[in-house]
Amino acid sequence: MKLPPARCETTEAYLAEAGPHLASLCTACGACFDACPMVRYSGLAGADAKAVAMGLRQLAVGETANPDTVAWVGVCAKSGLCRSACPEQSAGLDAMLLIRIARQRAINDTRQLKPKYDQMAFPRVKTFARLQLTDEELAEWL
Amino acid sequence: MAVGPDRITFWFGCNVLRHAELIRLSIMLLERAGYDVSAAGGPAYCCGTAHDHQPKAASTMSGRTVSRFNEAAASEGRGTVVTWCPSCHMHMADIMSPGSTAKFDVAHVTEMLADSADRLAPLLTVPVKRRILLHRHLGFRTHVPVNDRVRALLSRIPGLEIVEGPAQPGHMCSSLAAVPGALAVAAGETWDAAVANQCDTVCTIFHTCHRELVALEGRQNVHVRNWVHLIAEAMGIGASDEYRGWRNGGAPDVAAIEKAGERNYNTLIEPELRKPSPLPGSA
Ligand code: SF4
Repeated sequence: MKLPPARCETTEAYLAEAGPHLASLCTACGACFDACPMVRYSGLAGADAKAVAMGLRQLAVGETANPDTVAWVGVCAKSGLCRSACPEQSAGLDAMLLIRIARQRAINDTRQLKPKYDQMAFPRVKTFARLQLTDEELAEWL
Repeated sequence: MAVGPDRITFWFGCNVLRHAELIRLSIMLLERAGYDVSAAGGPAYCCGTAHDHQPKAASTMSGRTVSRFNEAAASEGRGTVVTWCPSCHMHMADIMSPGSTAKFDVAHVTEMLADSADRLAPLLTVPVKRRILLHRHLGFRTHVPVNDRVRALLSRIPGLEIVEGPAQPGHMCSSLAAVPGALAVAAGETWDAAVANQCDTVCTIFHTCHRELVALEGRQNVHVRNWVHLIAEAMGIGASDEYRGWRNGGAPDVAAIEKAGERNYNTLIEPELRKPSPLPGSA
């Protein structure tokens, strides 16, 4: 697969630019929410899809969103069904990326979501590597 | 150095380091398919996908990794980065490359091997008499039709019967493990489907699914193997699965624990190996 050309000099700059752009393409129709197989784990079964989707646009520009949207983006597992369900895909809207950015903003900007991060993830994988890899593999691969 | 189509970097990611044999066997398969392989992974090649809460750090990590692959393309002619981990692959395609100039192409290991299936097939000489349930996820199909690619590869193994399992949400089991209740449902549906279809083996595609499901090894006489293990079996190569043994009561040998650091083993590894299985009520 050919990778797309760079649009910015860092991923941080790219995400800062992509959030408002994707939000401007979103019509808050709710098709992404309706297609999502993780809704059952968000406690939002039967929720108003359009209202939940409206919060995506708010989060993507760094504005506080309703708790339902935050709960939904918090259970995103990257199933990707939102992407093809989005009627604006042909206009350049990647719904999965919009939801990813909304989640990032809910963690870092509006502080409505707590990050789920294992602080010991790197030390743990390094220890697993030393348990199994030869010295040559450790030197060459890592 | 001029970029050659057969010179690749195999970017295996971080968490597959729990399963060294999957890395080694993947390299061997890529080499048998005709590629000159240089492997890279671990935290020094982090994509940054798990660092959404630290945008600056994630940006730095991702920029560093892209630079390293650009350097491998320029100095060693390695113009294709071949991924194992779907998180790394999607992050590269969707976020890393729009945020840094990437002078290489990206492909998934299952695409590379499926494209070389005719070259690999004559090596699959040992019948593998198993009836497998292919454990699948919905995600990642946005980027690579991975379920189809693995099925295409496995269909070349003599004696193997393949049943497609129910496609679970997420792109692999680690994405479900973070959501209360989701992993247990996925594991339960997979296991129930294996039993209902008289399968003797659940075949995982990704490392994090393997990591979770091996805790169910042998339950109701169903075993857990990764697709790479099955290909190796068909090539007559004995593929150990140390993690599966450790997760089911075994432990690394003392020399390995000493090399890894006993304190790190006790605090970081042992608790993971002894955590409850993803299915409530199972051993
Ligand atoms: S992302 Fe697409 S599917 Fe979701 S609400 Fe916006 S326009 Fe509709």
